[in-house]
Amino acid sequence: MITFILKRLGSGLVVLFAVSILVFSLLYVSSGSIARNILGDQATPDQLAVKEAELGLDQPILTRYFSWLTGALQGDLGTSWFTSEPVSNALATRIPVTMTMVIAAMLLISIIATLIGVAAAVKRGWVDRVVQIGAIIGDSVPGFVIGIILVTILAIQMGLFPATSTISPGVSADAWVLSLTLPVIALLINGVTSGAQQIRSAVIKQLERDYVRTLRSRGIGEREVLFKHVLRSAAPAGLTVLSLQLIGMLGGVVIIEQIFALPGMGPLAVAATSQSDQPVVMGVVMYTVAVVIVVNLIVDLLNGWLNPKVRAS
Amino acid sequence: MKLGPKAAAAAILVSAALTLTACGGGAAGGTGTAKTASLTLGAVQELRSWDPAQAHVGHYLQPYQAAYDSLILREPDGKLSAMLATEWKYNDTNTKLTVDLRTDVTFSDGAKFDAEAAKANLDHFKTANGPQMAQLTAVSDVTVVDADTIELNLKSPDPSLEFYLSQAAGLMGSPKALGTEGIKTEPVGSGPYVMDKAATVKDSQSVFTVRKDYWNKDLQKFEKITFKILIDGTARTNALVSGQVDATLLDPKTGKQAEGAKMKLVSTEVDWQGLLLMDRDGTKNPALGNVKVRQAINYAFDRKTIVDQVLMGQGAPTSQPFGKASGAWTEELENYYSYDPAKGKALLKEAGYETGVVLDVPAVPGFETQLAVVKQQLSDIGITLNVGAAITNTYTTDISAQKFTAIFFSLFQGEPWVATNQIVSTKALYNPFKNTTPELQAKIDAVEKGGKDAGKLAQEVNKYVVEQAWFAPLYRVNQMYYHNSKITVEPQVQQAVPSIYNYSPAK
Repeated sequence: MITFILKRLGSGLVVLFAVSILVFSLLYVSSGSIARNILGDQATPDQLAVKEAELGLDQPILTRYFSWLTGALQGDLGTSWFTSEPVSNALATRIPVTMTMVIAAMLLISIIATLIGVAAAVKRGWVDRVVQIGAIIGDSVPGFVIGIILVTILAIQMGLFPATSTISPGVSADAWVLSLTLPVIALLINGVTSGAQQIRSAVIKQLERDYVRTLRSRGIGEREVLFKHVLRSAAPAGLTVLSLQLIGMLGGVVIIEQIFALPGMGPLAVAATSQSDQPVVMGVVMYTVAVVIVVNLIVDLLNGWLNPKVRAS
Repeated sequence: MKLGPKAAAAAILVSAALTLTACGGGAAGGTGTAKTASLTLGAVQELRSWDPAQAHVGHYLQPYQAAYDSLILREPDGKLSAMLATEWKYNDTNTKLTVDLRTDVTFSDGAKFDAEAAKANLDHFKTANGPQMAQLTAVSDVTVVDADTIELNLKSPDPSLEFYLSQAAGLMGSPKALGTEGIKTEPVGSGPYVMDKAATVKDSQSVFTVRKDYWNKDLQKFEKITFKILIDGTARTNALVSGQVDATLLDPKTGKQAEGAKMKLVSTEVDWQGLLLMDRDGTKNPALGNVKVRQAINYAFDRKTIVDQVLMGQGAPTSQPFGKASGAWTEELENYYSYDPAKGKALLKEAGYETGVVLDVPAVPGFETQLAVVKQQLSDIGITLNVGAAITNTYTTDISAQKFTAIFFSLFQGEPWVATNQIVSTKALYNPFKNTTPELQAKIDAVEKGGKDAGKLAQEVNKYVVEQAWFAPLYRVNQMYYHNSKITVEPQVQQAVPSIYNYSPAK
């Protein structure tokens, strides 16, 4: 078990290292205009040269990469070229907002999708059809459209929620909840519908298996069969979908955060990318890759815990 | 299966309830600013740094005005009046500006404002490599004459200098704080408001409260000013109509929604949009070297229809690149190139390009509609417009490296000397091929030495570039600034958003 985790973390570090080289190289190619972007239209060549030297842009790529890597290994991700804010500060203030949303959405998706999926698989009939139609609608309407509809109705017309975030230091937990409710709903709709679909199929498949008939013939209650045995066997499929959902959500959350003006990772990623703010882009990418690696590891561990057959492999 | 219909329905109901559990009901998260005189503005950008030497123009200038006074105050109509400087005067050759200063002003950290402090700020601005550093390029050095007088010595006359001292270059920070790390995140000025650091969150909001013992109570119309960062246009619209912000900048499309919610519009012209035909010597595209081809391009556009269709009427058709508020603008140039495709074709024929001309421009995100219209109208007179790859963040470098022979873009219309150095002079970024003629250079030199007459003299520069069709301007765009009924707002000429002095609580 420990060996497995260490192996996975080792390969994760290799991936992080490879991605850092790749992204750094891509940013290097487009860093020709940084000084001009910072100093504006009227900057003279002398000013540009001074700024480039200040940022180390006059150094060869290898020197620049190793200086970034050395810093990163010591926990120093550098300073934003545009705002002079340390990258670790920028990430530290934003990750809580984004991760609160993502985790809340994931928990709700897990519970709601499971309940709906099981209900559809067990009941079939009209319940199943409603779920099927819901899945098609949920899959085809982007989260940000749902977000805009929610804001229009619940925030602007009914005044139940703030239209844009009111999160700031010292605000009450209420403000957090009120500010995050609509974005979280917008974020989870897609996940709930596609998650429910997957869980439904997996449960149906399990219900047709021989062991279910055996369990029933032994007189074990329907609920126990369903929640103790069937769901456990159907879990890997559900977990895989959920992990993909979470990874996909890291992209979807960017747009949702823009619409709701949430001070999360989204606006930071958009601003940094459009300006080629290399230290910040590197920080954002490293964080995202790290999240993906950790999520995949957790999913594998959960799968092993839920399903002994997976453990051997 | 033993799970009854009730249980199944319950599963769905429970899940729906779970979705709603977070909806803890309760009050709207609106402003809740009942009778307090607070002002919340929807800002389109976060500042890079609160160091006054890093201040910029338009959107990026407004928040600095809360924390910092400037030497000169620019009135809404563009007139310059006293602020920290009580008087200022040029010598006869416009190479020395003597500035008298107030003596009753302190900074928020207790430091006193005097000639030494003003010099420290100007020197810092010249070396801090900020985005508007060029504003003091003409200043060779600053001399302290006495406790309340400084002299700015100029390498060569700069008709925009007084204007610059009302902008980024004129912002005065505490000499004790200049150059420190602290001032990057917390401003230290002598301005009407001080930052509430505890309530300020980077990239979310900057909060300012009124400063006690400020020297000019007339500029303190609110107890509190909040700049709420709302980069997304939809978010700005939602925040305005739901009452979270009192005023913000929108566009023709989102403006419709704001008008539906009874918001008031304050409109002003700030940018022009159109083609910059940059390769006027025909270095890379010989056709552009022919003035008749450039004029033909100008006759191809039905500017009025474009304004009505593309901008929903929110703009003014024009043939001149200089703005209405600059002294360089003239009525006669406004419709210099009428919509006359036949004349356009005839000019192409005269120029020997009857078989057609090919024009390449890069694609600019957000201008898809404009480019499509321009392409279609040019094709009507036999000019093929190829829209190339989208611009990237190396755009400005690509321009200066002569990568493009023409571009379609939106450009700020500033003071005549500012605009001349932005698009006409050989130093201008948007004149990358460094086109000039002795005749034009003489007109530009006259503006430079023109002092108070710079605007009038710039009319000659304007006339020259219009007649020679250096550009193909289509229209000036209305900047659409909306506010609610709690406040009144006066627009600021040549500025993307009003200065903070232009807001007042509604009577």
